[in-house]
Amino acid sequence: MKRSTDRITTTHAGSLPRPSDLIALNRARAAGEKRDDGAYAECLSSAVAGVVAKQLSLGIDVPDDGEFGKPMAANYDYGVWWNYAFARMDGFVRAESVPESQHKKSSVADLALTSVRNRRDWQKFSEFYQDPESSGTLVGSAPRRATRRPVCTKPIRYVGHAAIEADIANMKKAMAAVGVEEGFICSVAPGSFARGENLYYKTEEEFVFASAEAMHDEYKAIVDAGLVLQLDDPSLPDNWDMIDPEPPLDEFKKFERVRIEALNHALRGLPEDRIRFHICWGSWHGPHTTDIPLQDIVDLVLTVNAGAYSVEAGNVRHEHEWRVWKEAKLPDGKLLIPGVVSHATNLVEHPQVVADRIVRFAEVVGRENVIAGTDCGLGGRIHPQVAWAKLAALADGARLATRELWR
Amino acid sequence: MKRSDGRILTTHVGSLPRPDDLLALYRDNAPETELQPRLRSAIAEVIRRQAQSGIDIVNDGEFSKAMRRSTDFGAWWSYVYDRLSGYEVRPGLAGQGRAAWTAGSKERKEFATFYADDGGMGSAGAAGSSSARMFGLTCTGPIKYTGHAIVAHDIETLKSALGGVRVEEAFVTAVSPATMQILANEYYKSPQDYTWALADAIREEYKAIVDAGFVLQIDDPALVDIWDWWFSLKGDVAGYRKWAEFQVEAVNHALQGIPEDRVRFHICWGSWHGPHSGDVPLKDVVDLLIKVKAQGYSVEAGNVRHEHEWKVWRDTKLPDGKLLMPGVVSHATNLIEHPELVADRIIRLAQVVGRENVVASTDCGLGGRVHPELAWAKLAVLGEGARLATKELWR
Repeated sequence: MKRSTDRITTTHAGSLPRPSDLIALNRARAAGEKRDDGAYAECLSSAVAGVVAKQLSLGIDVPDDGEFGKPMAANYDYGVWWNYAFARMDGFVRAESVPESQHKKSSVADLALTSVRNRRDWQKFSEFYQDPESSGTLVGSAPRRATRRPVCTKPIRYVGHAAIEADIANMKKAMAAVGVEEGFICSVAPGSFARGENLYYKTEEEFVFASAEAMHDEYKAIVDAGLVLQLDDPSLPDNWDMIDPEPPLDEFKKFERVRIEALNHALRGLPEDRIRFHICWGSWHGPHTTDIPLQDIVDLVLTVNAGAYSVEAGNVRHEHEWRVWKEAKLPDGKLLIPGVVSHATNLVEHPQVVADRIVRFAEVVGRENVIAGTDCGLGGRIHPQVAWAKLAALADGARLATRELWR
Repeated sequence: MKRSDGRILTTHVGSLPRPDDLLALYRDNAPETELQPRLRSAIAEVIRRQAQSGIDIVNDGEFSKAMRRSTDFGAWWSYVYDRLSGYEVRPGLAGQGRAAWTAGSKERKEFATFYADDGGMGSAGAAGSSSARMFGLTCTGPIKYTGHAIVAHDIETLKSALGGVRVEEAFVTAVSPATMQILANEYYKSPQDYTWALADAIREEYKAIVDAGFVLQIDDPALVDIWDWWFSLKGDVAGYRKWAEFQVEAVNHALQGIPEDRVRFHICWGSWHGPHSGDVPLKDVVDLLIKVKAQGYSVEAGNVRHEHEWKVWRDTKLPDGKLLMPGVVSHATNLIEHPELVADRIIRLAQVVGRENVVASTDCGLGGRVHPELAWAKLAVLGEGARLATKELWR
């Protein structure tokens, strides 16, 4: 992976705003309407070419395909980064009905994830979360509709080979067209994928390991194609908020360690320096008061066999955590990709704010080890015009930081 | 005015979330006999709650300024509607809405689809909002302040609500002449004459507040956000500076005879949830800001567009005896600021201007701009962050 050898380089967390024709096609396909696969493939391929060129023109050094191959069927949608994988798996059926929102309680001996609506932050701010205008400070919000979720009813098997090959081909073609050497594709981590409902595997651990086994094919395809693999694993921090009541930290870490073992198993044989690992505390626009502090899990994060760690640091709940890296040493040769612009506010970060954030990290972990990134994907979480402006501010800020760090 | 002697004091910019039943009373234009008892009890509650949240310098949450919807950004200035003579509504102008005020905005051109899709106002720009009440208001005759009885009543209600509550000090907000001159004028010969008349009129309200023993907060977002609304598209820096210099003269005219140490002056770049990419940098107006005859300056510093501007105070010395009230929590995001971040923001400024000269505050009013549950959570972390900062700064 490229490092910031003579200047601060830039990237982002993956999702970017989709063009409206692609969203319309995704919507039609999701509704089972006219399936002209050729037209879809063409639309997707040209959209990826467009978004790679756009990232470069905005000053992003390490682009991706905007996650365009993961079908988003609405302007605002926070879930495609993980639920795209259901279509690439055998072993799931769509539930007969919308599931009841179960409030699973945990005991120390048996931690279990409760439903989204029973997250601890939801309970603390129940009026806010139930208010239809609760997006409040943001333009647009994903509709809160209950859907019939896929349920695992038989052994999981990866069947998405054609889909990932198409993603890879689109990305490589787009990169060749603009002459960029390094690009990445996102893929969901087993711990974040295996939060769906499981009726087949005896334990959640088996479910996670089976997911890991299956996802291995996608990870390998991306790396073998010469692209950087980004693993998306918000579950590592945000499961904490899904366990009610708040568990003892050591029990939680035990719970998470299993999921990291599964992930590292899925990464076997793949070179660490082609892999980046993304965590965030969930991208919904809520108070996030029950987010686990980075300090409590940073040791776990560093056990993932990746060469780079992408971590939220550009919002008011996690901005102060740059200090964590004073104590938790970033291992030699690894990279940190802090979020220095965020989906958490409509205001476009001032380039100087971006630069200040980068400089702080650089002074702690070394300028060559910092790549400036975003908190989370910007696509589907914020208005497209604001998303693009934030990428431009990211690049402007990186240039200011470079000037300060290499003078 | 109280300063942070011995610990970091806290305050906020003014607007706090109204209870639903109070909103309903205002919305339905309930008779005074129904409105007043509830207003009185709601103000007593909001003062107690501020004290419980760790806020030292409190107000009535601007509850006495009519707000009719839970999401509403404009009550802080639409209240003057009932307190000034000389205005009429022009339906044609009202139909244009905010567009009539922001035609010179570069940001609104650059982010045209963003503003067309929603505009960062959520439902706050909708019919029935305080802002909508101001659209179309046009000065057609001599301006006079007619709100003496109303402000006297506000003061009396606040005084009685403060009884038995332990706080350091209380403030009352009032609008600036610069803000009011946004409203169209057909009567006065020049914009200057118009602004001067507004300054003469609003002085009566300022004086009533200070005479009653309260700290007066003048709300003047216009001083900075008019750059974007009127001047940015043309890039007319000189025109803006000239305009702003005059506005400072006008507010100082309105403040004549009022002791500086009873006045705090609030600027922000407008509280709508937009990109704010065209906001004029603080460094370009700070020299004018410190000419305002106020002891305290309340300035946005807790959002991603203005957070870096704490550095401005390294180059521009805060005049001796003055206070800075930086925003260290904000309406700009739903996420609740981490108390350590709040402390970091306070400490940074304390190290530049002196710990005793910093009173921790909010970017702008929280009421009507974020969900009530979030507003209160933000005030609580403001208190918590100030305690952390105190520990660090007085150890």
